[in-house]
Amino acid sequence: MRYRALSDVRVVDLTHFIAGPYATKLLADMGADVVKVEPPWGDGGRKLGPHRAGVEERGGLFAFLNLNKRGVTINLKHERGHELLVTLLDGSDLLIENFAPGTLDALGLAPEDLIAKFPRLSVISISNFGQDGVERDGKLNDLVLFARGGWTFPVGEPGREPLTPPGSLAQYVAALYGAIAAMQALAARDLGLGHGQHIDVSILEATVATMIYETVTFQYSGIVRGRAGKRFAVGPFLIVTLKCKDGYAGLHCVTDKQFEGLCDLIGRRELASDPRFNTALNRMLNNEAILEIVEAFFIGRERKWLYREGQRRAIPLVPIPSVAEVLEWEQTRARNYFETIDDPVLGKIRVPGTPLRLTSHRGEASRPAPRLGEHNREIFSARLGLSDAEIETLKTAGTI
Amino acid sequence: MNSIFDGKLRVLDISMGWAGPLVGQMFAEMGAEVIKVEDTHHFDWWRGSLSMAPPEMRPIERAAVFNTANRGKRGVTLDLASARGIEILKRLIEVADILVENFSPGVMNRLGLGYDSLRAINPRLIMISMPSFGSDGPECNARGYGNTVEAMAGVTGLTGYHDGDGQHYTLSNALGDPVGGLHGVFALMVALRERARTGRGQKIELAQVESLIPFVADAILDFQFTGKVPAARGNRHCEHAPHGIYRCAGDDNWIALACETDDQWRSLARAIGIEGLADDKRFTDASARKANEDALDAELSRAFSSVNLDDCVARLRDAGVIAAPVNSAPAVMADPQIQSREYFVAIDRAVVGTHLYPGAVARIPDTPLRADAPAPLLGEHNRQVFAELLGMSDDGIAELERLGVIGSSPREYRMG
Repeated sequence: MRYRALSDVRVVDLTHFIAGPYATKLLADMGADVVKVEPPWGDGGRKLGPHRAGVEERGGLFAFLNLNKRGVTINLKHERGHELLVTLLDGSDLLIENFAPGTLDALGLAPEDLIAKFPRLSVISISNFGQDGVERDGKLNDLVLFARGGWTFPVGEPGREPLTPPGSLAQYVAALYGAIAAMQALAARDLGLGHGQHIDVSILEATVATMIYETVTFQYSGIVRGRAGKRFAVGPFLIVTLKCKDGYAGLHCVTDKQFEGLCDLIGRRELASDPRFNTALNRMLNNEAILEIVEAFFIGRERKWLYREGQRRAIPLVPIPSVAEVLEWEQTRARNYFETIDDPVLGKIRVPGTPLRLTSHRGEASRPAPRLGEHNREIFSARLGLSDAEIETLKTAGTI
Repeated sequence: MNSIFDGKLRVLDISMGWAGPLVGQMFAEMGAEVIKVEDTHHFDWWRGSLSMAPPEMRPIERAAVFNTANRGKRGVTLDLASARGIEILKRLIEVADILVENFSPGVMNRLGLGYDSLRAINPRLIMISMPSFGSDGPECNARGYGNTVEAMAGVTGLTGYHDGDGQHYTLSNALGDPVGGLHGVFALMVALRERARTGRGQKIELAQVESLIPFVADAILDFQFTGKVPAARGNRHCEHAPHGIYRCAGDDNWIALACETDDQWRSLARAIGIEGLADDKRFTDASARKANEDALDAELSRAFSSVNLDDCVARLRDAGVIAAPVNSAPAVMADPQIQSREYFVAIDRAVVGTHLYPGAVARIPDTPLRADAPAPLLGEHNRQVFAELLGMSDDGIAELERLGVIGSSPREYRMG
């Protein structure tokens, strides 16, 4: 789904893999004119899994992360390629990139020079550790990022190794900070506070930014949170993942009222006034005891029953769905959340829609992710005024 | 240097918890005037519980999470169950640019604060609603918080040990909350741009669960391609090995590391003195290591168990292996890169004193973000805001206090 709210915003997208492309996807879904610039051999992210059997050239994630963008190929190491990119930047509002720091400078595209040349342009750099600092050039992957950024330490069984979160969640968080930074650059410029700027977003800092439970709480309390097994933490609440008859359910019981509701649900209303559990503090001190009682009840019930009966008592209690169930969930269906894309390589796929529902514009169907160099002709001839002969020459030279 | 919205934007934040308040906090970073409205009966539940400490300790002013998520705001109180309270809130809305709310669906309408009636008094108003699961659909009334949203987005179902018995785990940071809040900020920035063009505000809806599902798009597509639900992988990777977390010497010290190439594996083996394993035919290339991963992990666990974590991380990094300590909160704050970029900022807040808080993420050179102002005490800015913005007299404000429409102490002792 896309809205044409940002249709006057021109973005040159030099990003690859996940953090950069999700940032530019957010802008593209809001209607920005995003031109994805890849080297002639393609964004490495094209081959990220998951794969449809027998199709190696384009993974599913690429098809999702690059919806609503147009794609061109340019070899930035060729002199003529360098010129093409600079021409493309003329009249653009944003250059967004997630190369290793220093890469743009080495390509003769130092952000400060570009901004001096095109004062309306802002450059958004998303990188693992930021553009400076003592370990700017270190290596990183998802496992090590989660560990270093503090997400991993408090998760898992107390007697076992800490458990990493799944997938690339923190990369997406960083992408959001990048997309917001892009809008901040536009706002500052349009409010007359100056020309374009070079904004620096560190993926590690974005990861740490979402750990306020840890970093600030331990300073206040002096207690470093450890692993609490199936519980979120040991506290004046019961936030826990519980085994039931046909899978797992997630319970979030925090307030007095929710605890009273929980006691009612398990048919033990007297527990609400039990001196072990009658205040938040007592529920923290006797957390194991409550957990035991609740566990024993949940194991004999089905998820659906727990969900219905829990919610009826205003307890945030949900079944824990698999991704297959998320895809079929009647709530996402009723809200037409997933969008079916007719991808030129992968065929029909269902992808998450845009979470932002603007009322100023009507949502339109998304455009599939571009094939490698799909819009070379369109962009190079219509926007940059190159002749067919020139385009052929560039192709032969391997510049595009 | 000016921030982006210095003196140019007013945000009214009537939300609670983390997702909504984060939106207000990030606008405060941009220099907007952000007014947080709480009820003395139903103050923000993230202030925690009054029963956690004696009243003279002011427990609701000691919640680290509230004091982080509400930085840079002015705080007022209004009894939203009273007609007077609603009337005053509407007068604030009349002079606001943005209204942030995350009540359950239907609450705003019941309070007489539906978008249509607000638009009538302020056509430039941009209102964002952030229900957990959406304002319509069969499950819209289900209760959800950060962790429940995380579950319904499919994240929890993917989180578990590779050799677990199916047990799932909740992430450590209620991820649904900050992700909802960040999308909210982005949406409002888009709407502000639109308003600059048309002069009109609008209503935006953001279902928090819908903002988190895209983060597991890979697993959702994997299911469509294979017909199989992806299993929890724990700390392992689908192609690379070793890829895991191993205990080092000491109490609760762990190293996270990944070898994405055979070269990195050989470097790892050399760096920690297990060269013999690099030549072991069970471990020579990625597919062999993947096939013998249990044995590999057992060997590595043995090798790491007696080494010093920090030495080991340094050695592995020098050898080009991707590695880091599994940082607890204090270790995150002591991380050399985090320190050298001075990411955390010190803030002195009434009642609790000075602590370090996470700074603004985006480094914007000419119009810097500012994350260094404290969170308000309950009702701290009643006098200031009602006098400045609504022209109320001291007597008028005293009268509201006497009637209990506003106040600066919680109205009853109850669990938050």
